[in-house]
Amino acid sequence: MAYKPQYCAGQSIVADNRRKAMDPNHKLSKLRDVTDKDIVLIMGHRAPGSAYKSAHPPLSEQQEPACPVRKMVTPTDGAKAGDRVRYIQFADSMYNAPCQPYLRSYLEAYRFRGIDPGTLSGRQIIECRERDLEKYAKDLVNTELFDPALCGIRGATVHGHSLRLDENGMMFDMLQRCVLDKKAGIVKYVKNQIGEPLDTEVKVGKPMDSKWLKANTTIYHSLVGSAYRDDAEAIEYIQRIHGLRVKYGFMPKEA
Amino acid sequence: MTEATFPQCRIITERLLNPETTEKLLNKVVSVAGVRRMVLNGPRLPATIPYGPAKGQANPHPMRKTIHVGDQEVPLQVHVGTVLLELENRDVVPALQAAIEPVFTNFSFRIQEGRYMKTEPSLVDYCKYGPNADKSLLGLADPSSKSKPIILQGIK
Repeated sequence: MAYKPQYCAGQSIVADNRRKAMDPNHKLSKLRDVTDKDIVLIMGHRAPGSAYKSAHPPLSEQQEPACPVRKMVTPTDGAKAGDRVRYIQFADSMYNAPCQPYLRSYLEAYRFRGIDPGTLSGRQIIECRERDLEKYAKDLVNTELFDPALCGIRGATVHGHSLRLDENGMMFDMLQRCVLDKKAGIVKYVKNQIGEPLDTEVKVGKPMDSKWLKANTTIYHSLVGSAYRDDAEAIEYIQRIHGLRVKYGFMPKEA
Repeated sequence: MTEATFPQCRIITERLLNPETTEKLLNKVVSVAGVRRMVLNGPRLPATIPYGPAKGQANPHPMRKTIHVGDQEVPLQVHVGTVLLELENRDVVPALQAAIEPVFTNFSFRIQEGRYMKTEPSLVDYCKYGPNADKSLLGLADPSSKSKPIILQGIK
């Protein structure tokens, strides 16, 4: 029988959402339409429309050593063109945000190529060639993996993951890169990801309602969502891993 | 040194407060007799970006405003999430609860009794204020801070 990956353990809606996010065969639903130009503006690495800066000549113009691995692996578009490596970083609220730092790294490893994810407790950074990054960033922002109020695109000063939300339902941001337009009900980025003011506001759409967030979140939270302790399978799995790791030095043998 | 006999409590809200709500809340707190000292706690909102690639640039923030409490202007420096209070006695707590209840219509809050402010001078306090420190200042601000407390005319 062919191997079928299971992605993660758990019987709760949270575990199910995690599996969906990680499974590359599951098509992520598109919820908003942030344009290429808008993504470039928020990331702030280059002016929209300007040429990509390169770190080395295109692969076609440089002599590569005879290497079986290089022959086997098709370079990504960015690598082929010799783009420099840039980043996008997300901070996700623990109040039912639709994506989480650890999950981001997992799903990006399953779904994208040529990436270097860095995971921290409340934020996650992904580095790759610039034109690949813009393509991936668009996927990450336009699909169900993003919520304008609870996920922030933050290159520096990311604090907010574990803080209470503000009265408008937005995650705390010391630099207030995005603001909620109460009249229109949409979130607008007024600064780029490192906190420099943007010439034009970038609209990223309406924050999702609490019902949708609860049904689509990928983080356990006993007060506002699904409690981790209610997910028997996830607990059993984590206890088994924990037990085996603790006993590893004693050559564990499972019955 | 603060008299250790003065009870303390804190108001914790489910959400971080907008400046307008903070103003409403503090005006209710000021209207209650028996509040000695008050500290607004929360994540800081600096006027200029203190670090990172945009260091030194202005940091306009809709949650950093000057509010009007009692007869004083209070420039907010934090996004208020918790209000620490030192009271004359424990009987003030029910009055406080009743006074601030109308402010929180959309989300909940709690008043907890405990010890939340410094009651003994630390080494840093000693370095900053010396042996004859103004006792009413201890525990109100970080000793390295240059800002001074705001004195509100309460009811007594």
